[in-house]
Parts: sequence; structure tokens; C-alpha cells
Amino acid sequence: MLLNPAPPRDPAARGRLSGALLALVILWPLFRAAEFKPGALFDSSNLKVIGHFLAGFLPPERGAEFLAYLGKATLETLAIATAGLALAFVLAVPLGYLATAAGREQPTLNPLSRSLLTILRGIPELVWALLFVRVFGLGPAAGVLALGLTYGGMLAKVYAEILESVDPAPAHALRHNGAGRPLAILYGLLPQASKELASYTVYRWECAIRASVVMGFVGAGGLGQLMDQAMKMLNGGEAASILLTFMLLVFAADGISGWLRRALDTPPAARASPFGWRSISFLLVLPSAIIASFHWLEIGFGELFTAGAAHSIGEFVAGFLPPDLSSDWLARVGLGIWETLAISVVGTLLAAASGLLLALPKWRAPFSFLLNTLRSVPELVWATITALAVGLGPFAGALALALHTTGVLGRLYAEALDNAPAAPGHALRLAGAPTGLSFLYGTLPGAAPQLIAYTLYRWEMNIRMAAILGFVGAGGLGQLLYFELSLFHHAQASTVIIAMLILSIAVDQTSAWLRQRLR
Amino acid sequence: MSFALDGAGLTHANGFTALSGITLRANKGERIALIGPSGAGKTSLLSVLGTALAPSAGSVEVLDFGFPGASTAGMPSFPRKRESMSANEISGVSLASRLRTRIGTIHQAPPIPGRQRVVTAVLAGKLGQWPAWKSLASLLYPLDVAGARATLERLDLADKLFARCDQLSGGQLQRVGIARVLYQQAELILADEPVSALDPALALATVHQLTADTEARGATLVASLHAVDLALNCFPRIVGIKGGRIAFDLPAGEVSEALLHDLYASEGQTLPTLANEPRFTTLAAANDPATRAACC
Repeated sequence: MLLNPAPPRDPAARGRLSGALLALVILWPLFRAAEFKPGALFDSSNLKVIGHFLAGFLPPERGAEFLAYLGKATLETLAIATAGLALAFVLAVPLGYLATAAGREQPTLNPLSRSLLTILRGIPELVWALLFVRVFGLGPAAGVLALGLTYGGMLAKVYAEILESVDPAPAHALRHNGAGRPLAILYGLLPQASKELASYTVYRWECAIRASVVMGFVGAGGLGQLMDQAMKMLNGGEAASILLTFMLLVFAADGISGWLRRALDTPPAARASPFGWRSISFLLVLPSAIIASFHWLEIGFGELFTAGAAHSIGEFVAGFLPPDLSSDWLARVGLGIWETLAISVVGTLLAAASGLLLALPKWRAPFSFLLNTLRSVPELVWATITALAVGLGPFAGALALALHTTGVLGRLYAEALDNAPAAPGHALRLAGAPTGLSFLYGTLPGAAPQLIAYTLYRWEMNIRMAAILGFVGAGGLGQLLYFELSLFHHAQASTVIIAMLILSIAVDQTSAWLRQRLR
Repeated sequence: MSFALDGAGLTHANGFTALSGITLRANKGERIALIGPSGAGKTSLLSVLGTALAPSAGSVEVLDFGFPGASTAGMPSFPRKRESMSANEISGVSLASRLRTRIGTIHQAPPIPGRQRVVTAVLAGKLGQWPAWKSLASLLYPLDVAGARATLERLDLADKLFARCDQLSGGQLQRVGIARVLYQQAELILADEPVSALDPALALATVHQLTADTEARGATLVASLHAVDLALNCFPRIVGIKGGRIAFDLPAGEVSEALLHDLYASEGQTLPTLANEPRFTTLAAANDPATRAACC
């Protein structure tokens, strides 16, 4: 054995220390910018306002007239989500086909369709909705179009990635035998990817319901519009009824989507016909639901394609060009970017901490219920409530993001911890280690990559959300955009939209880089 | 007395009887090898000794902590927990966890997270003995680098001190698991196929480290081994197990070919050995004083 008396220093220590310092240097001003002051939650005047409002929640409003409104708005929300997703699907299939490298002889990234997808996804659906409301007037058509464009972009990107992730050999073989690219994909790749594609589409429908609830806040109909009115009049009883309806709707969508995904998992019966009673009834229900949705919403898409409509759209778009790039305005937009970034980072970090705490307890039932409740209320609705609790401003936005994201992350964390290898923790407990330390030394390292990836993915979503929380007065870019659009300052608004786009792309890149680094 | 099993039996919830009528005693400082065909119950026996599984019959006493089997008293201090993935585990009563810090288990598959660094994985051996603040601080900066390094040096792994466990080979990872238990300084070391992933030379050297460590500290070692020659060469006492029962319990020198042949009757003619050589060489080597001296 070599003589080596001095133990070596931990070579990772310097990196860890500088990483921690760097994080502190970056996070400190971000927390300042988000006006992070938990004390505001316990401010007596704020407590009085929110207490009064929450006291009004009981009893929930159950007047017959109101319930009729509520029922109609609920159907409208469902219809917007279904019609929007149908539109998104129609957009996504050709775009995904163009963007994916799957089935190509030479793997190419189609830069044109890829950047189109980025633009579609990078602008939040609520901003699209806000723009469409200006063109087509108040009503659900704006919501459907907005959902169609954003979700079309998301679906196309994910479709493209799923097709790229399956084994390419069958498609290559088919192409060598002279099959064209579409057929090679249909016969070689689709059978491998169909389950994942369908499952993701169903999941997106669930998200579309939550999103269409929110559309109402910019006047695109549905439950959101009712909620907006109730909140503006501080009518707690109505707000409570609407919130309960939200939750029921989201739970139901969750249930249906879970059932559909399980149905996809069951192996097919052995028979020549590819359709059983389940798939036949599904194939009948789906188109009728889509047709009924468009019918119910009374969207005459024919009117959109008349010369007059084209003219007014052209005029509207022309108003946005060129964007206002004066240094004064850029400085204000820069401030908005910083505030939006701060809201998203603070909201995500708070959610990661509380989500982990809520994911830990072994006895899941009450915590799952709490997490589902937090998750079922959209960020924008939380923002209307947190704005009452801590006053208008970025901190209300960060809190709203944190509340919703806690629900999402808590559930994902609990699943990840459940799936993490159990043996290391077991072994440590068997050697007498306390439960908490066995978790930290044994279980957590196994789950950490998943937890980090989930958190970063949520951050990517939250930056888009933080950009629009300003619509209800929670600061950041959204507040600027809402303000400028209501004053018809289209050139200024267009700068803000470009800023949102750049910000969301930058966050995507940073998050991908961080995921790589922390692996 | 290190441990005493008295008529211990283990029947799993699904009705499978893994052990029955096991009576086995060991004094402090003994080194025992468990041999026997796959599925004979070696791992189950080690699990009962390590308090991972409660016996369903008979009584077990480990390091002066006694706990009777279910049939006698219903195990008041060791309530059965819900059925976990592989085993019904004994819950962590504080009494139990104090006992458990004195038992070190080397698992067949090293239970170490891939993302953990070797130094942390080794230091985790003392989690039951360190105060909580020390264990927490050690996650940020390893607090006993020298200790971890010294332990790894004995297993020829010092150069991997700061490597991440997912960068190691199977054999290296298995030795990290052994290093953790050596670092724990347990009074009773239970090793389940501790060298199954190592080549013959390394296997011999590693088992030598285990026996030397326990001998020097007066600790007890029970190891299940697949390689019969390794068992006969390095352990003074051999316990043969077959079908959940003890087939023989003899000093290494008295284990005859016939006994081994009976024990492995279902595995064909050749005995499992390190090099898988014919068994007469094995026995000859076992009785050769030079080999014995070289090993233990």
C-alpha cells in the first residue's frame, strides 16, 4: 500500500461552492424583482379583503338562472376545447410530417417548418386569443382559433419527436424497397408510435379544457368569462360555484383521458377486423362530438375567408408592423422581460419546494386530493385570487404560478419517487439508518434526474404562463401587452409579442442546457 | 454468542416455505460459509439474521436481542408491515434500528444509486451511527474522506473515491457495497454472494479482506458463497443448506466429497467453484496447508 497520509480534497467541492454562489447571485435579484415578500400574505388589510371574499364563497350560488348560465358556459368550454383540438390536429399532421426527420433517407431538420412551429408554440394561446378577439370580435371563435394554432404547434413538434424516437429500421427497409416516404411512415413507423401519439393527443385534450376555461378572461367565451365577471364584482358565491364546476370538469377530463389511455394499453382481441365495439363507438362519438362542438359554437368559418375579412385581417396585421424599437420602449420591454423571468423562476422554485413536501408523505389520499385541487384551478384563476390576497403585482403572479405548479409537480414527484429503485433505501434502513436519511442517501439520488427534468419542463411552461398573468394585473410582459392593446398601440404591442417569443425560446434553450448539465 | 436460531422457519405470504427447522448458533468472531444449490434458502437465512424478515416459526436471537417467531408470541416489538415488493419487512422500531446499526449486510446486487459518488456511498454505512447533522452535512461535503479512502484502499478501489457509481463496472460496484459494510464496522457481517461479479483472483483477495477484517475486530462473518472451493479455503466452518433445511454443519476439514455431492446432487456432476475445476482439486487445495495459510 502506498504511503498517502493526507486525504485528498473533494475535487467537486469547488464546483459545488461556485455553483451555489452563482445561483445565489442570480436568484437574489430575481426574488427582488418578483417583489417576494411573504409578509404580504399576513398583512391585516389584505387578510380582511381576502377573508371577506372567501367568506362569500359559502354558500355557493345556486340560483336557477345562474345555474343555467353556468351550464351553458360549461358546454361552451368543452366545445371550445374539442373544436380547438380538432383544428390543432388538422394543422399538426402536415406540419409534423414536414418537420420530422423520420422516414427521410438523409436525416434533415426542416428549418422552415421547425421555426414556424416554434413561433406557433412560443406565443401563448391567450395572446393569440387576445389578438383574434380584436379581429373577429368577442366570442368563442377567437378561442378555438387560438387553441388550434398553439396546440397545433405543440402537437406537431411532439408528433415529429415521437416519430423520430422509434426504431427507424422498418421505414428504411420499406424505402429501400421503393416505397414513398408517407407509406414508409404509415407502415414502418406508425405501428410503433401509434400508442404514444394517441396518448399524447388525449393528454393535450385534457390541457385544452383547462386552457379554454382561461380563454374567457380575454372575452373568448366559456367559464372564464363568467369567472372574470364574478371576480370583478367580488361575488364570492358565484366564484365558488364556478370554481367547483372547473374542478369537476377537470377531474372528469382526467378520468376520461385516463380511461382512454388504459384502453390503448389493452391488447387487441384476436380477430380479423381491426375494430371492436369500443373502437367503433369511439369512432362514432369522436366525429359527432367535433361536429356538435362547431355547431354549438356557431362558428361560420366561411365568413373568415371572405374578401372583407381578409382585408380587415390584413389591416390589423399591418398595424403591428414595424414593431416599436425606440430605445425608451425597448427599455420598458426589457424591464417587463426581467419581471416575467422573475415571476416564472420564483413561482417554479416555490412550487418545487412545496410539491416535494407534499409528495413525501406515505399516506397519499388527502395529499393527492389537495394536489389535484391545486392543479385543477388554472394559473390565471389563481392569479385573480392571489391578487386579492397580496395586492396587484408580480408577487401575486409568482404565487399563482406556485399554487398551480405545486399541484402538477407534487403529483409528478410522487410518481417519480414511487418509481425510483427502492432497494438502496431499504438497504440503508436495514443498516439502522433513520428513515429521513435513508431517503436522502438512498431514494432521492435515484429519483433526482426525473425530479429535475420535470421541474425544468414546468419552468418552460411557466415562462409562457408568466408572460400572460399580467392580463389580470400580475405584472410582467402581459400587463404591458394588455395595456398597449387596449389603447390600440399595435406597434408597441408587437414589440412585446416578439419579446415573449424570444424569452420563451431562450428559456427552452437554457432549460435543455441545464438538463444536460445536471444529468 | 453472536446469534442463535432455534427451530426457525420462514413461510412467505404466498405459502412458499423458504426455511424450516433451522437451528444454528454462532459465537462472536466465528466465520461461517453458507453453501448450497440455488434456491436452497441461503438468502432467506441471511435475511432472517439481518432482521429484514421476521421468522414465522421458532425463535431468533441476534446480538443479544431476542425476538420469537409468529407462532410463539406474535412478535410484539417487530410488527409485520405491509407486503412490500419482495419481502415483508420488519418496521423500524428504534430498538430495531439500534440493533441494525450493528449488523452489516452485503447484498447480492449492490443497493447503491447510480448517481451517487463512491465516497458518499461508502460513508452511508455510518448513517445509523452518525448524528443527523453530520449525515446531512456530509451530503454537501463528505466529512470522512480519509476513512472512506482507507476502506476503499483495502479493496484496491482508492482511485475511484470520487467517481460516480454509474461509471463503475459491476465488479467495482460490488466492492463499493463491501466497502460500505467494512466502513460500518458492524459486529455481525452478513454477506450474500459478495464476490459473484468478481474474477477468481479478485474474489479470493476480497474474501480475504472480509475475513481479515472480521478476525481483527472479533466480529462475526456469515457469507453465502457460490464457489465451494472459496468457502472451503477461507472459512473454518461450513454450513450446507438444501431445501430450506440445514444439510450439514461441519468444520471445513471434515466436509467430504460425498456430502458435497449430495448437496449439489441436482446440479449435475461438477461442483460450482471459482475456476469450475474438478472437485478433487478443490478438496486437495482445501486441505493443503499452504493454500489455507495464503488465504486466511
